[in-house]
Amino acid sequence: MTSSTSRPLTPRKVPRFRRFAVRTGAMARKETWHVVRDPSNLFLALGMPVVLIIVFGYGVSFDLDHVPVAIIDQDGTRTSRQVARDLTASGEFDAIADAGEPEDADRLFRRQEAAAAVILPRGMEKSLARGEQVTLQVLVDGSDGGRASSVIGSSAAIVRSASIRAAASGLPRAMVVPIRGRVRTLFNPELRSAVFLVPGLIAYVLAIAAVLLTALTVAREWERGNMEQLFATPVGRLEIVLGKLSPYLAIGLLQALLVLAVGTVVFDVPVRGHMALLAAGTLLFLAGTLSQGLFISVLARNQQVATQAGAISSLLPAVLLSGFLFPIENMPLALQVIASVFPSRYYVELLRGVMLKDAPLAVLWPQLAAMAAFAAVMIVLSTARFGRRIA
Amino acid sequence: MSDLITVSRLCRSFGSFQAVKDVSFKVGRGEIFGYLGANGAGKSTTIRMLCGLLQPTSGSAVVAGADVARDPEGVKRRIGYMSQKFSLYPDLTVFENLDFFGGAYGLSGRALRSRIDEVLDELGLRDRSRSLTSSLPGGARQRVALANALLHNPDVLFLDEPTAGVDPASRRDFIALVRRRVAQGTTAFLTTHYMDEAEYCDRVGLMVAGCLKVLDTPSALKANHVPGALFEVRTARRGDVTAALNAIQGLATIQRIGAGLRVRYDPSPGRDRVAESALAADPDAVVEAAEASLDDVFRAVVDQEAQ
Amino acid sequence: MEPVLVANGLRRRFGDVNALDGLSLEVLPGELYGLVGPDGAGKTTTMRIFAGLMDPDEGTVHVLGSNPTDRRSGVREELGYMPQQYSLYGDLSVIENLRFFGALFCLERDVFIERTNRLLAITHLESFRDRRAEALSGGMYKKLALACALLHQPRVLLLDEPTNGVDPISRGELWELLYEFVESGMGVVVSTPYMDEASMCHRVGLIHRGRLLQQGRPADLVGRFVDTVIRVDRHDSGIEAVIAEHGDVILGVSPLGGGLRIVIRSQAADAVAEALRGAGATIEPVRPGFEDMFLSEIRAGGGT
Repeated sequence: MTSSTSRPLTPRKVPRFRRFAVRTGAMARKETWHVVRDPSNLFLALGMPVVLIIVFGYGVSFDLDHVPVAIIDQDGTRTSRQVARDLTASGEFDAIADAGEPEDADRLFRRQEAAAAVILPRGMEKSLARGEQVTLQVLVDGSDGGRASSVIGSSAAIVRSASIRAAASGLPRAMVVPIRGRVRTLFNPELRSAVFLVPGLIAYVLAIAAVLLTALTVAREWERGNMEQLFATPVGRLEIVLGKLSPYLAIGLLQALLVLAVGTVVFDVPVRGHMALLAAGTLLFLAGTLSQGLFISVLARNQQVATQAGAISSLLPAVLLSGFLFPIENMPLALQVIASVFPSRYYVELLRGVMLKDAPLAVLWPQLAAMAAFAAVMIVLSTARFGRRIA
Repeated sequence: MSDLITVSRLCRSFGSFQAVKDVSFKVGRGEIFGYLGANGAGKSTTIRMLCGLLQPTSGSAVVAGADVARDPEGVKRRIGYMSQKFSLYPDLTVFENLDFFGGAYGLSGRALRSRIDEVLDELGLRDRSRSLTSSLPGGARQRVALANALLHNPDVLFLDEPTAGVDPASRRDFIALVRRRVAQGTTAFLTTHYMDEAEYCDRVGLMVAGCLKVLDTPSALKANHVPGALFEVRTARRGDVTAALNAIQGLATIQRIGAGLRVRYDPSPGRDRVAESALAADPDAVVEAAEASLDDVFRAVVDQEAQ
Repeated sequence: MEPVLVANGLRRRFGDVNALDGLSLEVLPGELYGLVGPDGAGKTTTMRIFAGLMDPDEGTVHVLGSNPTDRRSGVREELGYMPQQYSLYGDLSVIENLRFFGALFCLERDVFIERTNRLLAITHLESFRDRRAEALSGGMYKKLALACALLHQPRVLLLDEPTNGVDPISRGELWELLYEFVESGMGVVVSTPYMDEASMCHRVGLIHRGRLLQQGRPADLVGRFVDTVIRVDRHDSGIEAVIAEHGDVILGVSPLGGGLRIVIRSQAADAVAEALRGAGATIEPVRPGFEDMFLSEIRAGGGT
């Protein structure tokens, strides 16, 4: 009975690809209207990354400055005093008043009077004169992890240079800093962390801004009941996904441009490589992270959940798993695997490669490919998980 | 009969826009008063003033002995408010909802317990007290909202589209409950868009563009404010019949309903004259004299205003 | 005439609630079909299944011969749907909302302009073209939603409680609009919780607990109602006593104004009326309405 129902459906005049383009365009235009209608959001989207990069750029500096150090000179010789002077000469460390015995270090740390203590052992000068190896003990207040690792790195370098100088001045050669556990060196050869950090910051800032930009768009339509109307029209899921992505891609590129400008102007970070490579990488990275936000939005259907999930899923990989702060090679295998899924690490690698080393496409294509793959997977997932049913 | 609501020359402006213009009326103890009007006619502005939520620009209103301008808090203590879009918490049980809102009215301890029991009994909700509010059918939920509004024994009960969407049986039960309350001396002030809800009021006032245009019992309104005569014409040839009816002198309104037409003539040409014309256009047409409804009153009053 | 919409044995559960329990109906072109029932009767579920937004657990729906969930069949191009909840974009203007939906249906520019102008004219929204949808009154919003659902000139139009929250004047205009489109051959399904709106439809299905209790032309349905309805002008202990005494033949009592509305089995109507007059009441007959019809169907169907 049902097969005989009424006239057949009216044949459609407009060809299929045209309809696809028209509807995707309609989605994109509507999304743009939303953005324009609420300029405060646009300002937030463009302003937040700039503020973030400035705050982090100054705040997350691993360059040390006047770290209070207790120098416990048990030797009290010319050599030990020379080493102490070397330690404070760079301005990174300020020697605080003689501490006396090693036991005092603990008390000084607790009162926050010192962040590190260097013990110059008794008989140091004599041992050096005999050509023996001397062990300097460096105690570091580990409660501030970031500063601790910088102190470790910095003091190691200074001691090393002191030891080289000692060797040159005829003193015996090797001095070893016996720090157990991981020793990380986060500073670059120029001892300026901005150069190293800004590319990471760009990835971090863009990741957060981009995911949050789209995490709300679909959830909002669910929450406001728009989906019910939308789904009753011929619009397809891929059309919705692509239509929603495109205006945010434009905003994201604008963000990237702003952040790069701030990075190069304010923090004096060079761009040694090709702009085209940088642009291609940024576009792919944004496509991936925006789609990630969209995917979250599709799953969450609720703005509150989407915001939180968006923030966490962008923050964690961008901060912890991007190689921005912590080298990925040093992570446990499981984390390394997770890190290699998210585009943040590839983007950080690409940015550092292009900006600092002028790396060519021949070197960076795997990063580009990985980011493209992530974006593609996210778009496919968003489309597939886009329930075209109300309940 | 003492008046529980006395409104005199009440006005309220928003900027240069006069939302309520010089409205005066009284509502007695034990009366269900219906307040009708189109969207934007000033209905909600009036109610917000009567509930002590909005200061009048001029004029006065005394509700349950408290002046809305000088003692809005006193007004709020003496009134109960129930909305169709109720403010109950769906994830709490009936008892928990009442317990919470009772607390908000300053009731507590044993007094609150016994008051909740009374209200639950009065509204036939005793065995529902442990049910989640969200799990209740529409009619029962409506009664919980009413219970909520009655907890503190208000003198005046404001009902905002109280039975919209409720099934007819529950709706009749609900009206009977309100009637019983009103018979005990509570005054009910009801607002609605739906004329069948207005039918069970003792008196109905109709707002048009900020003014209270008419105020009377539903039957008096129907008798006095729909001039002329109404007819319903059933026909399959609507176009022809419409033309024929249009040709008769005195056509005031013509309205399509379903497969037929509803027409008003003022003055009335008589049923025979209407039937004659209709049958000439469609021999199968059926013409019946129709009773005026509050919808007709609404239309006629608004039309009059527009002229 | 072939129906434009055919639903067969629709069932749908939500948790342990049977929202739809074997619903079947057909809608013809040029017909205004009213789905009338209280909240929770299954109206919205039915509409969503018709619109292809939800799958039934059992049963089938065919709109113009196709499953409405099948996007490739092109059935969506012929289907207009106006949800019950607010679902236009509140931050977009009247014209922007229209433009968006027009583009989703790939309307050519000149076609779009012509139809928009016509729709804005008959909905009296021309002077509000640039107003944001969220700033419209309830009635105007509904008319805009209707315009958005009509832009592509669907052959089947589904309206879920279009008159909810709309004042009587705007409601009258809304119905006028519908008649105009129905006359051009569109098949329309409109749901409403208001029994008195049943008379506005060509054909009505009374829906209760996911099932159709009755279906037919409004006049015929009310015509099947055999009991007598009277109005009593007062309500006092004397009247109460009469009602109690005749409890077995009185089917329903409800307040009406200051008096009562009483439904009586017809064969006993004269006797009851006599007794009521004896108690000092004035009585007048009342025409039964859909609400009476609905209640008597529920009684007959054994529903509580």
